[in-house]
Amino acid sequence: MSGRGLDLRIQGLTVIYGGVTALDNVNIAVPSGGFVSVLGANGAGKTTLVRSITSLLYLHKGRVRRGSIELGGESILGKKSPDIVAAGVAQVPEGRKLFPNLTVKENLLCGAASRSDVSGIDESLEQNLELFSQLRPLLNQTAGLLSGGEQQMVAVGRALMSQPSLLICDELSLGLAPKIVHRLFELLTEINETRGTSILVIEQNASLALQHANDAYVLELGRVLMEGSAAELRGNPMVQELYLGGGGEAHTSYAAIERPGRSRPLEHGQRPPVAES
Amino acid sequence: MTATENPAVQETAQTYRPSTLQRFLPFVIAAVVPFILGATTDDLNFWWKAAITLAILALVARLAWRWTPRGELTHREDMRLWRTPSDRSWAALTTFGLLVLPFILASDFTPPMDFPWATWFAVVNLVLIFAMGAAAFNLLVGYSGQISLAHVAFLALGSIVGGIVGVQWSGGNMWLALPAAALAGAVVGAISGLPALRLKHLYLLLATFGFHFVMMLVWREYLQEYFGFVGIRFKGVNSPRIASWLHWLPGIDPDENGEFIITGQFRWYWVLMPIAVLSILFMVNVIRTREGRAFAAVRDRDVSASLLGINVARSKLMAFALSSAVVAMSGVLASFYIGSRGEDSFNVQTVLNYAIIIVVGGFSSIQGAIFGSAFFWFLPEWFKWAREELWFVRDIEFLSDYPSEIDLAIKGFLVVIILMFKPDGLAGLWRDFKNWLGRSLARRNP
Amino acid sequence: MLLAFGNFTADPSVNLQLLIGGLALGAIYAVVALGFVLVYKSTDVLNLAHGEFLMLGAYFALTFLISENLNFFLGVFVLLLVMLVFGLVVHYGIMRRMVGQGFFAIVLITLGIATIIRALLLIFYGPTERARLDLLPQGSFEVGGATVRHVDLVIFAVVAACVLLFFLFFKYTRLGLHMRAVADDIEAAAAMGIDPDKVYAMTWAAAMVMAGVGGLLFGHVTGAIDRSIEAIGLRAFPAAVVGGLTSLGGSIVGGLVVGVIEQFANGHLGTKWREPVAFSVMFVVLLVRPTGLWGRKDLERV
Repeated sequence: MSGRGLDLRIQGLTVIYGGVTALDNVNIAVPSGGFVSVLGANGAGKTTLVRSITSLLYLHKGRVRRGSIELGGESILGKKSPDIVAAGVAQVPEGRKLFPNLTVKENLLCGAASRSDVSGIDESLEQNLELFSQLRPLLNQTAGLLSGGEQQMVAVGRALMSQPSLLICDELSLGLAPKIVHRLFELLTEINETRGTSILVIEQNASLALQHANDAYVLELGRVLMEGSAAELRGNPMVQELYLGGGGEAHTSYAAIERPGRSRPLEHGQRPPVAES
Repeated sequence: MTATENPAVQETAQTYRPSTLQRFLPFVIAAVVPFILGATTDDLNFWWKAAITLAILALVARLAWRWTPRGELTHREDMRLWRTPSDRSWAALTTFGLLVLPFILASDFTPPMDFPWATWFAVVNLVLIFAMGAAAFNLLVGYSGQISLAHVAFLALGSIVGGIVGVQWSGGNMWLALPAAALAGAVVGAISGLPALRLKHLYLLLATFGFHFVMMLVWREYLQEYFGFVGIRFKGVNSPRIASWLHWLPGIDPDENGEFIITGQFRWYWVLMPIAVLSILFMVNVIRTREGRAFAAVRDRDVSASLLGINVARSKLMAFALSSAVVAMSGVLASFYIGSRGEDSFNVQTVLNYAIIIVVGGFSSIQGAIFGSAFFWFLPEWFKWAREELWFVRDIEFLSDYPSEIDLAIKGFLVVIILMFKPDGLAGLWRDFKNWLGRSLARRNP
Repeated sequence: MLLAFGNFTADPSVNLQLLIGGLALGAIYAVVALGFVLVYKSTDVLNLAHGEFLMLGAYFALTFLISENLNFFLGVFVLLLVMLVFGLVVHYGIMRRMVGQGFFAIVLITLGIATIIRALLLIFYGPTERARLDLLPQGSFEVGGATVRHVDLVIFAVVAACVLLFFLFFKYTRLGLHMRAVADDIEAAAAMGIDPDKVYAMTWAAAMVMAGVGGLLFGHVTGAIDRSIEAIGLRAFPAAVVGGLTSLGGSIVGGLVVGVIEQFANGHLGTKWREPVAFSVMFVVLLVRPTGLWGRKDLERV
């Protein structure tokens, strides 16, 4: 199977859509063979982060203003997405994004677009079907007609078809039954451990992500507010309160919590001040 | 946030209110002076007239800029059509320019290198008609997002109504044909908009294109039934005229038959300009109302708009009816101004021309329609002039062999280039220019 | 109501002739509609310039096969090669920058391209009309009192072969699979390492080649080759819509249906009814079943 995973280093990443800053000076590192999760609520910039890594910002009229993204010590910023996939980055997009009119098999084969070894592709397909045995009878079914859980399995399988060194999962848990999500996460851990693939999980479901990941980052309104090992963050009272559903008074946003360094809580919907270049 | 909550704002902003007289004076000057100039400067040479005109332009703009309410505005003040100093001075300039233009164009003057002065008046009149139609088209496809290729069908409808009401019933009464065309345009427009309730984007475009062909059939049938292949003549006995009970108006001197026929560019200008300006202002105002904002909401996301309580069906049909009414009116004007309409007056190329106009001018902007049609009609004139007069173009035989084809190619290239690099077109350039001007003026006198 | 206008005749051979003429016309419509479908299916662009592409093909066929007098197969090969290059030029020169722009802006840019092609063809080939091509078999035979031209049969065979070829291509090749994936979801396709840029370029090239084939075929049945032949692009719209803009097979069925309807309208009601009837049929199909008879359904996400 594939070799060891590659490490990803994102430094000082600033991304803008038109005049709106979506990511502001973000530093994130995924060590080789690591399992890292990025937590954050809606609008925190998680999907933008994925788009920046896979160079898909242009489809949304966004662009990287500053910063660097390195994969295995090599800059991938400005490369086209096929080259990035060929370099070993695969993703499970937010909302699964299967090709609804294609069959399950065709969907899986699309995942191997960056490879040209026919026998290797067949082998990967077979491996996938062993991982997700319930997909086997559905191979010639149109993907758009599958259930949510089956679709997510196809999405993960499709990403694995390229034998990635780094697997990015965007909102894996979205709209799925807890049982299926658990299984998928266990599967990710297994892939991480047995194949050495680096894994970056972008999640709203913090408890699950923190349970499986080694390191975690908390993203809010385009900035990294907190980072540390998963265990550390699990023990952090603020994370508990906001993301793990702990007790105490209800806060709607992380920014609403008083904390040192910022004299006044941000008003609802207000973005943190962006540093001038 | 109100001023009392934030004392900093109150301290720095200068509050200024012009008197009512001051508020309207620049516009009064802009409206009256051209006629005084037109009546009194016959014996002056062209350059004197130009100098005086420019001086008054500058004065009017300056006064309008100065006498603008500043500081915290009331809601009423905020809702005015021309609110900022820049808006007000451009409006005053435009008023003055529109009124003084016919006098300048009518003066006999030969610019250096035979720049085509005489033909320009005709072009200006065409621009007025086209700007009106294109603005209405833009209101529908740009601002309301209801993609339609049926606008030429409504020009044809205008010609049909002009033929029935203006020629067959009343023998040259354009004044009757105009409201009739508006009414017919609104009704047929709403009907042609019915597919929009079910279809979107591509499918709506195709459905309206189908409507275009149906209307072309109606047009050809009508022509053959009543006029034969020569087409309708809107000229001669059918020319519009001013009714005798209005002959007391200043500037109207009836001919020997006791009639005042609207003929010649100068008279036509005074008919076309007010109608075009009023209908464009009308559309600008519609955009500013609740109804107009509903158009934009439906364009951006109709499901969400319906959740906000907007009657989507009503809003879509309203956009179609409104746009079609104005296009039909411009169809009547075009018919009477050009003087004849035949079987080949409306075709697919006409549809393309309107598309070119709104792309070059700038999408979803009423101004863009004006710029676009000006460009569309002036380009061939410039090109013709360049072919005949400019030494470095004159000798290229290739250019003079295929004038209209090269025109077409230039227009095509422009559409492609503008869509690729400057999607908001000439109106966007104009906005950039105004912003730049505003910034540099602000730097000069802060 | 239609009876009041027309002169419906009971003579079966007239109707048979109309049917055969309609099928022949429908085959041409199918060629053009296939071009629309190819582009719309994978790039979501309604290419209003396809009529002009076809005109380009017809004029190039004139150049390579008549003026240069190349061997038929060599000439066709050169023609299709040149068209392919033009397709790549259209993509890399223009359409590439328009990815992600609004729907109507893209429709309008194809109109701009159409205008350029038309103007340039007029400049380089002049306004004089040329005799139609005569390289395909020219004979005819009789069936039940109606004439069937050989050339129509050839056109029909070529269209069927093209559709089959494209069907197999989309179904069984990697590039075909990638094209369908991009058509389904461009962002997901890009995220899987499929290069949408390359796929789009191939699509435009394929559409141009199809226009070359179409121009070559249409050049054999049109009255004369002149500036008016681009109108076939517009006239084939109803066929493309009736068949469903995303279905290869639909373009054949749509073409034949509309072709026959048009011929009957032409024969029984008069020439001027052709376009209105065809577009009315399109209109009704749009209202009843907007995605055409075989088109895929696009779901809108709110």
